[in-house]
Amino acid sequence: MRRRLTGFTFIVAVVLVAVGVGVSYGGQKTTTLTMWSYDNQDPGLEPVLKQLSKEFEASHPGVKINIVFKDFNSLVGTVPRALASGNGPDVTEGNEGYQTDAQLVKAKLILPLTKYVTKYKWDKLYAPSTWGMFRWTADGKSFGKGPIWGLAQTGQNVVVFYNKKKIQQAGLNPNKMPQTYAGFEKMLATLRAKLPTGDPVIEAGNKEGYGFIHMFGGIWGASVKPSAVRNWIYHVPGSSYNTPGTIAALSRLQAWGKNGYLNDDFNAVGNDASAGLFAKGKGAMWIGGDWDSTIIKTGLGAGNVGVMPVPPGPSGQWASIGGLSGSWHISAKTKYPDLGAEWLNYVITSTRAKSLMFGQQQLPADRSAKPPTNDPYLTQDYNAFSKVANADGLLLYTDWASPSMYTTLQNQFQNLLAGRTTPQAMAKAVQDDWAKFDKTLH
Amino acid sequence: MSAVEAADGARPDHDDPSAPRQEPTPRRQRKRRRGRAPGDPGNIGWLYVLPGLLFYVLFTLAPLLHTVYYSLFSWDGLTAKTWVGLANYSEAIRDHILLIAFAHSAILIVFYAVVPVMVGLLLTAALTRTAIRGFRFFRTTLFLPQLIAGVVIAQAWTWVYDAQGPFNRFLELVGLGSFVRPWLGDFTWALPSIGVIGTWVTFGLCMVLFVAGVQKIPLELYDAARVDGAGAVREFFAVTLPGLRNEVLVAFVLTTINALRNFDVIYNTTAGGPGNTTIVPSMYMYQNAFLFNRVGYAAAIATLLAIAIFILAGIMLRIGDRAED
Repeated sequence: MRRRLTGFTFIVAVVLVAVGVGVSYGGQKTTTLTMWSYDNQDPGLEPVLKQLSKEFEASHPGVKINIVFKDFNSLVGTVPRALASGNGPDVTEGNEGYQTDAQLVKAKLILPLTKYVTKYKWDKLYAPSTWGMFRWTADGKSFGKGPIWGLAQTGQNVVVFYNKKKIQQAGLNPNKMPQTYAGFEKMLATLRAKLPTGDPVIEAGNKEGYGFIHMFGGIWGASVKPSAVRNWIYHVPGSSYNTPGTIAALSRLQAWGKNGYLNDDFNAVGNDASAGLFAKGKGAMWIGGDWDSTIIKTGLGAGNVGVMPVPPGPSGQWASIGGLSGSWHISAKTKYPDLGAEWLNYVITSTRAKSLMFGQQQLPADRSAKPPTNDPYLTQDYNAFSKVANADGLLLYTDWASPSMYTTLQNQFQNLLAGRTTPQAMAKAVQDDWAKFDKTLH
Repeated sequence: MSAVEAADGARPDHDDPSAPRQEPTPRRQRKRRRGRAPGDPGNIGWLYVLPGLLFYVLFTLAPLLHTVYYSLFSWDGLTAKTWVGLANYSEAIRDHILLIAFAHSAILIVFYAVVPVMVGLLLTAALTRTAIRGFRFFRTTLFLPQLIAGVVIAQAWTWVYDAQGPFNRFLELVGLGSFVRPWLGDFTWALPSIGVIGTWVTFGLCMVLFVAGVQKIPLELYDAARVDGAGAVREFFAVTLPGLRNEVLVAFVLTTINALRNFDVIYNTTAGGPGNTTIVPSMYMYQNAFLFNRVGYAAAIATLLAIAIFILAGIMLRIGDRAED
């Protein structure tokens, strides 16, 4: 009996030791960080982020990166509440402007990145004026000043993509594109006269409403000062949308529609879809985000596409709607803020990250990045961006100016192009939205 | 769902609306009442409905009251709420976009409720006169849209209405090329185009309800009508329509509610555009809550929409009751 008992004890002891060893092995805690991103385009940033996260895991044993991709609207619509619940992402994209980032700052859902800006020398990443889009006062009211709350991965710019063959067929030289806005307008008129009636000069897609918000930037930048536009977005007192320059630009856009430069189904075609149609040979130009450059290249072939910003007005300052991609934030409730910052640093500033981004035809936001010399198409993209960025001409995104600005602009541009409102009435309506929100900031 | 219960249950409940509250002896109860299960002791009924009731209170009533509560605040959904009393409501009744949204809903009711009920009745009338081969197949096929998720329906119709889509190709084919347009991007035609989607979705439901209802109507009535020399039209108005009164009512209530709370189809086809030509209250509510960070105001819109639905459903049920008396 006693012997059996000893045997039993022995077995129990062995089992316990085995279990204990097992526990201490398996118990080496895995730290899981959840990241949310809406950069779900492929080709685009999704494969880049996935690959970089895998590499980050490899160099950080015991760390697991759980990166979740959502579409833009569903991420922006849910992220404030997800962060507030405490079960949200550790690191997430927000969106610059009053609709999202201001909310996150005001509700104390994200951390200021000041500490990490110093630690990783992030201040060198972008031009000083660029940082404005990540700066907020802690009450979420003043945009463009205060601490830095976000960091972006890529540069974005709304540019003109042109079909070289069609330009040539119209008797123009695709290698000598106009360098002034007046010259550009003249070219549009010539193209309209030469192209067949059913073929638009500019293939446009405005179903989601941002098509015209973006397209307008080039015209706008030719008749107003870029700094005035940015001040308006930042709610600098005295700024206005209702100015002669803006009204003149709105009239130009409306004239593009009246003159038959655009396809008439623009309100029913999605923006990416219109890029796809242009890539299949519809229209002589497409004006939109350079993040769609791969779609266009795939359809028309790199050699047949030219890229340039809409040329400048009398001031000579190149300008376009653009800025940096969605702002990345660290949750105020995460247990691992330092690790989150390290991940951000890796996916945004590392040499590896930049080469992967270029590989997907994306432009790294880090201004020290240089495109590979053997890719002339990408170089065109890059040059268009740096031309505007170096001229301090990035207008940022107009819809950042108030939570309802996106909807207001979407509405107004659709009415403007349909001839249902005048440039004067539109300028007033947009300014009214701005002023109504501006009152809540003081 | 409550509409179905109310409409179906209208007859038995009429005898004694206070039924569950009384506590008579089981035996007396059995004598006095038709339709009660034998040996059903009064209060134990509550036990049976308890699980359902609990769910109803937890997931329907509580959120509803919560919404009404939120509607009394100015709130961005995250930071502290500020009590504003009825300010959201006074803003709402002066908000011309909300007014437009409700007007659009009224137009959609024609497409979602009136037209499908009429089409359904027409088909049913035809079916009572002639036997159609493969009827089951048609019935199933026509009902199918009811079973498809709104998002899928929206995607499919976006394709149908596309500038290069099959509907425009069809118009060209039959020589109506001048009517070709991007239907969902057209200021005039976007709302009717969405209406047609609604008709397509709901008329199958109406037809199935009516065809089932017709089978309840005693054949003798038809025989009598024919003996009296009634033609197809007379027969329909004298026998079929009165016999289907309850079904028509249910169909109207269901489809009207469908029309009023339409969100998925609009969100996925036009998102309220172009301009505001297809905005409806639920879409506007979504914009306020999730885009403009105005949760309190969105809650007020939601409450107004719920009130509108209650009133409309109430009126319809009242009309139904009166017709019965």
